[in-house]
Amino acid sequence: MNRALRVMIIDDEESARKLMRAAIDWESLGMEVVGEAASGIEAINIIDDLRPDIAFVDISMPFMDGIEFTEVATARYPKLIIIIMTAIDKFEYARKCVSLPVFDYMLKPMVRAEITPVLERAAEKLKKEKDYWEEQKSDEETRAFEESSTDLITRYLEENFTDKELNLAFIAQHFGFSASYLSRKFKADTGKKFVEYLTDLRMKKAMEIAKGNVKMYQAAAEVGIPDPNYFSRCFKKYTGMSYSDYVAEQLK
Amino acid sequence: MKEKNQKKMNTSLSNKLKQLILGIGLVVTVVFLVSIYFITESEKKNYGMRESEKVLRTLSSNISSDIARYCELSRLIMTEDRVVSFLRADSDIVDISMINDARYGVMDILNVTEGVDTVMVFREDMIMFATNRFTYEYDYEGMTSDTWRKDIYEGKGKAVVSLNSNNVAKKLGNKPMVTIGRAIYDLDSQQRTGLMMMNISSAIFNRMLVDLRYTDICIMGSDGSFLAGNRNLAPYFDSSFISKDIVHKDITIDGEKGLASGCRVGNMPIVLLKVSTYGNEVVPFTAINVLIFMLAIFVVLALFTGSFISKNITDPVFKLSSAMEKNRTSGELKKIDVEVSSSEFDMLENDYNNMIDHVNELIGRLMEKEKTLQRAEMRVLQEQIKPHFLYNSIETIGYMALDAGADKVHDALETMGSFYRNFLSKGGRDIPFSREIRIVKDYLSLQKLRYGDIIEDEYDIPEETENFIIPKLILQPLVENSIYHGIRLKGEKGLISISAYIDEIEGEEYPERELHIIVNDTGVGMDQDKIDKILSADEKDRPEEADESFGLWGTIQRIRMYTGKKDCVKIESEPGEYTRIEITIGAK
Repeated sequence: MNRALRVMIIDDEESARKLMRAAIDWESLGMEVVGEAASGIEAINIIDDLRPDIAFVDISMPFMDGIEFTEVATARYPKLIIIIMTAIDKFEYARKCVSLPVFDYMLKPMVRAEITPVLERAAEKLKKEKDYWEEQKSDEETRAFEESSTDLITRYLEENFTDKELNLAFIAQHFGFSASYLSRKFKADTGKKFVEYLTDLRMKKAMEIAKGNVKMYQAAAEVGIPDPNYFSRCFKKYTGMSYSDYVAEQLK
Repeated sequence: MKEKNQKKMNTSLSNKLKQLILGIGLVVTVVFLVSIYFITESEKKNYGMRESEKVLRTLSSNISSDIARYCELSRLIMTEDRVVSFLRADSDIVDISMINDARYGVMDILNVTEGVDTVMVFREDMIMFATNRFTYEYDYEGMTSDTWRKDIYEGKGKAVVSLNSNNVAKKLGNKPMVTIGRAIYDLDSQQRTGLMMMNISSAIFNRMLVDLRYTDICIMGSDGSFLAGNRNLAPYFDSSFISKDIVHKDITIDGEKGLASGCRVGNMPIVLLKVSTYGNEVVPFTAINVLIFMLAIFVVLALFTGSFISKNITDPVFKLSSAMEKNRTSGELKKIDVEVSSSEFDMLENDYNNMIDHVNELIGRLMEKEKTLQRAEMRVLQEQIKPHFLYNSIETIGYMALDAGADKVHDALETMGSFYRNFLSKGGRDIPFSREIRIVKDYLSLQKLRYGDIIEDEYDIPEETENFIIPKLILQPLVENSIYHGIRLKGEKGLISISAYIDEIEGEEYPERELHIIVNDTGVGMDQDKIDKILSADEKDRPEEADESFGLWGTIQRIRMYTGKKDCVKIESEPGEYTRIEITIGAK
């Protein structure tokens, strides 16, 4: 693999994400930070777009903590290098991480002198291997994609979009396609990116729910985005207004 | 003390039981024996008395009938012709032949009888004859008085029994005689013509006694003279026996208890005396044996009851008590499991076990409460530190510094974060040496930010020492001490050097590894007095918490506790030059 390695930072502390982005000399390590997520929920929704090679995961996050995210991620992205960050050096947490295929585990607050050697090791390992994301693309002819498959998938999404762990990688695994092939095929058939389609489904439902004057966190949980911060961003992007404004408008 | 007294006062139940049962056994046995004794004694006496009475009555009636026979005989004599003629004749015509005739007349009658020793017949004028003239000695003078015949005359012809011829004729050899006297009245004229006395030899009584086989009888005259029978018994006679009814007296014969019984025969001057010891023939041995057997059974039953009570009551009590005692001494409140024979003790055991359960539950609840309280307090302490908040703050400020281009601030914050992360970590109390070095390094780089111009540090830490396990935070206080009580006081640039090496020493079984850590500073040093004080393990040398050497003293104490050796810390110093502290820690 010759390209720059993609790094994703998942931490609920904005300053921690920013600090990490700013403090470490990524370029000299041959890496770039491709995205951040403020919760496990957000990470699941955007990871297919970011396609990272390395993920820094904070353990204590609301809505879906680092452990839970790691469990989901290691099942769907077996090649992903996960580095656990935690401020709570509690033994149980460490033990849970050890039982998962985590690359390393680091204590917060982060110290460059400690992180740099870990990242160097990770880079070394990744350089030796083939590009996981590219590998998928070349895999795509394994099974003919029928026209009806998209219908099947959209129907499945309509029925299951409230599942918070739903994402492209899961659907690809579930229906037996490679993620990148599915992604392209899905866009060709529906005119939308997979994650947009899924978010649209959820937002439509959220708008319906909003009419009932339901609190945002409740609506968020109901549509499968139990992180209200991420939900609120999605909602605003979709409707052009904040959830509370939308609710207020509906009540007029 | 109080308990001891209590124990003394309250003799144990089992002792009481033993005493009670022994007491009952003793009392019953004593009462039994005493009653047997008294019953036997009284039975013996009653038997003796009945025996005596029977014998005496028989004898008395025999003697009476004998005497009566002799009285009949005396009547025959009185009416014998020749005797009558002798008595009727005028005194002047009485001659020897007449007297002899009369004597023969009497002797004819006596020929058919025995036992009569002599018959004396007196006329009113005192002319007399006797059938046995030669074995008697007569008191002729006495005869002239009236006194000796007064009794006989007063009998008015009836037979009067007396002794020894009313003392007018004495049998040779003083042999006792029973005399039957009678006043004689003429049949026609009814005039008193004289009197007669018939002496009966006491030999007939002897014969009678021999016939009846009575050996314990003696026959006495009412004047105390011995008549017949067992002469040895004569001394027991006294006048109280001269009584119509039978009189009994307790006596002792050769140390043995005996009974003397006696009575008068009719109204004669004859007293019968029977003396005998109590024989054993009347003792109801069979009955006594039965009773003794029953007593034995009773005693056995009492002992059995005692052992039954002991086995079923006191033994289980002891068992329970010792089990409870074990609980008390061991300090563990365990349930007891004792084999007890009866349901009542089971109840007691269950009650005790329930109580133990209850107590344990209460203790458990109390401990739980205490733990919760401790946890709460711990949480409060931790909240005060709030590392998470601290770390997040450090990161936030670090980003702000970076964003503003203040890289040095970020560096300092990073060091501070690293220091506190290691310093406050909640992990084990023992950590690898490398981590302790990390803490010291961070600490010193932070301190250097403050006193950068005067502190320099250098390290000589071989790689093999890095994983050696040591108690956390033993080095940092030493370094802190070097800064504040060494280098800073000197006012010149100082050097803190930290080095370590591993030494192998002879262990008990195999060589043991020891880590030596040396902290050297070029500070003001300390004098021997201060070194001694700091190295003292004595509580009284413990510095005040506010004291400057408290941290160092406490750290040394901690190292000592960890290693279990007193000489694990050495301090060398030259005042004004240096201080060198060496710690030796064995591998665990």
